[in-house]
Amino acid sequence: MGCRVIPELRHFCSGGVDGRERRELHDAASRESKERSSERPARREDTGRITMSAVWKQLPFHILLLLISCRHIYTKTTGPTSPPLDPISPLPTIERSYVLKGKNHTERVELLDPVNLVLTCTWAGGENKALNITGYWKKDENEVENSRVTVQLENRQYNLNRSFSIVGEKNLGNYSCVFGNEAEIKFVLAAPQIGEVRDKPIVSYVGDSVVITCKMEENKPKPKTWNWFKANGTGKEQIVTSEEHHKYGIKNEEGKAKLLIHNLTEDDSGSYYCGAVYAIGTTMGRVELKVITFYEPLKPFIAILVEVVILVAAILLYEKTQSKKDYTAAGNGASDQTNTQSPGENNGSEESSSMRQRKV
Amino acid sequence: MSPAPANPLEYKPLDGGWGWMVVIGAHISIGFAYATPKVLSIFFKDIQQDLGASFSEIALISSIMLAAMYAGGPVSSALVNRFGSRPIVMLGGLLCGLSMITASFGTSIIYLYFCIGVIGGCGLSLNLNASLIIISKYFLTRRPLANGLAMAGSPVFLCVLAPFNQYLLVKFGWRGSLLILGALMLHCCVAGALMRPVALPCKPCSYELKKTEEEQPYNTNTRLRRRFVKNAKKFLDLSLFKDRGFVIYLIGSIMFIFGAYAPIVFLSAYAISRGVEEYSAAYLLSIMGFVDMFVRPGTGLIANSKWIRPRIQYLFGFAMLVNGTCHLVCPLIESYPFLVVYAVFFGVGFGMVFALIFECLMDLMGSQRFPKAVGLVTIIECFPMLLGPPAAGLLVDIYGDYKYLFLMCGAVIFTGGLFLFVMNIYNYHMLEKEKQKQVRASEVEMKQTPEAEMGQTEPEAKEKNGALRDPENTVTLNECELI
Repeated sequence: MGCRVIPELRHFCSGGVDGRERRELHDAASRESKERSSERPARREDTGRITMSAVWKQLPFHILLLLISCRHIYTKTTGPTSPPLDPISPLPTIERSYVLKGKNHTERVELLDPVNLVLTCTWAGGENKALNITGYWKKDENEVENSRVTVQLENRQYNLNRSFSIVGEKNLGNYSCVFGNEAEIKFVLAAPQIGEVRDKPIVSYVGDSVVITCKMEENKPKPKTWNWFKANGTGKEQIVTSEEHHKYGIKNEEGKAKLLIHNLTEDDSGSYYCGAVYAIGTTMGRVELKVITFYEPLKPFIAILVEVVILVAAILLYEKTQSKKDYTAAGNGASDQTNTQSPGENNGSEESSSMRQRKV
Repeated sequence: MSPAPANPLEYKPLDGGWGWMVVIGAHISIGFAYATPKVLSIFFKDIQQDLGASFSEIALISSIMLAAMYAGGPVSSALVNRFGSRPIVMLGGLLCGLSMITASFGTSIIYLYFCIGVIGGCGLSLNLNASLIIISKYFLTRRPLANGLAMAGSPVFLCVLAPFNQYLLVKFGWRGSLLILGALMLHCCVAGALMRPVALPCKPCSYELKKTEEEQPYNTNTRLRRRFVKNAKKFLDLSLFKDRGFVIYLIGSIMFIFGAYAPIVFLSAYAISRGVEEYSAAYLLSIMGFVDMFVRPGTGLIANSKWIRPRIQYLFGFAMLVNGTCHLVCPLIESYPFLVVYAVFFGVGFGMVFALIFECLMDLMGSQRFPKAVGLVTIIECFPMLLGPPAAGLLVDIYGDYKYLFLMCGAVIFTGGLFLFVMNIYNYHMLEKEKQKQVRASEVEMKQTPEAEMGQTEPEAKEKNGALRDPENTVTLNECELI
């Protein structure tokens, strides 16, 4: 069996082979060789003994070669269609399509799990509707291999469709179908984005604790789990609570994740990332934390305090000098002054004679 | 209007000069008093996250602060009567500053309730009442203008503090912001320093006081009870309810306060429900505040004019009618430009009412009874102020539509304005009648006793109204001011 398929082995099976080598073949091969050997019985007998000894010497080598080749049959994959390696369950198929009127359009596709995605693009055509145009597919601005096809005008429309296997995060991205450099429909494939993320930095103080939350929107599907990361130089480092549980605490619910950081120090400033984990990949949200010492607000506080004291002192001093000018014994401008109620109200519009003794 | 009998013990209010500095002080003080509970809500989201409290728990801070501010009225008035405005405003400023500073260290919501709510509210109530009282002492002819300028502090400080608080929040977080806000509130002490006490000519202490102290020997029980009643009377003078004008004013202002705050709270939510974008909806409130800023002094100026001043109660009623009509019309509005027009008219009506709300009370009571009256009015106003927005919110929950809220508020305010109008016509009429009687009676008396009485019965003539004051409220001077 191996002989027919594998060209290398054919060398052992065909007639042009050295009669010596024919003898070392396996059962199937030896059967064939026996068939051949039956055709030429005389020759075989002549060389039988001589070849036998030589053949037996090379037997282990050839058996080894055959074994290797036979295994190779089952492992080598040839042919244009590649069946999946170990298909436990087949991927579900989702279809997304869009009918384009105009030049460009972007469509968002939200994916949770690995799927077989069939994208269909339909275009009504430009001014001149040629019978045939070339269409191709792009992924993230790179043309997909072997995707260039000639699209024919059917029912006044051009149709392009292709199936993509989206299994992991590297398969997500922007997929575009392009009609002859004129029209483009972009499908943005992504896992659900985190909606409520705080864009302004959280400000907290040294020694204080802070809670950072990430929340998925109500109507979006909930992730399987949440991960927290802290930006570390160029990369992100995952925060694990088990190591130093005095520092970090993670409380994750279905749609909300909370990171508690205790005993803040200035090194804790920086970007924190919450990752919502879906089967297809993880979406990140970024929250910035700023840790400042208590002295930062204390400086303007003391400045304002000094200003208030100066103003109060100035006003009271001014009053004292004014009253000294009036040759009246100045009462203290501060507390313990009693106010006498006015004994009677005057009709203000009429100037009645009344004594005015006033500190002015 | 009959002039008060010439009396060497009267004094004429300054109506200018240092009075304008007092107005500035009152402006600052009132500004902080009204604006602080509103701008604190900017910090609530951050505090909520840090302390892990629910939204209603956090909103209670504002409510406690407002309640304490209004309920502290009688105490504040009594303290001002005893010590004068200046020390009280300085104490109020210190309390407010202290409340914010201690709140910045808070770790639990109860702590914040106490610090910001109770202590802050008490500080603000001291500020508010003392500022109003000193204006009534310094001004008479230009009092409406002074009131308008001082009350304008509320929208000015709201417009200034709101973006400033946002900036502080981003830079320092809520703790640092509360610390700095506390320092800012110490400027109320500066305002207090400006409130120079009114110097009065010293006069022999009224022997009336001695009379009340020389009580006949009672046994201890009744004496204690009498003292208790006297002390209680110091705070809450219920005899004011005998005054017809006061009762009318009180009913009108209760109705106004009940319907006044709910539209402000729900305006942006209503606009969003009508399809307006979020930022534009928030902008409506800023428009209202901005218009308010200019309307208050303007109304003060108008009320000062000689045509309006005698009939200032009518202007107050008219302002309430404008406000009520505005709210009644609001549910008919669907588009954004018309909502802007509504916001402008709302600002006009709101500003007019608030510029006049304390001026009318001063007008009715006179500067002598005003402290007690304002204390009583503020503590009574506490209830409609706390009940108004939740009742309106309940309407929204039941009917699911904001228009019933506006209809209710508009109807209540409109009715209040009508009530004031009608009842004031009646009141002025009755006052004229009483005045005629009084003039005839005093003419008869004057013929009989040529000597002017020495400060025993000092008929307090209400300006322009000439109604008689209740003789029981005769002033008892405690001390004379040293000169």
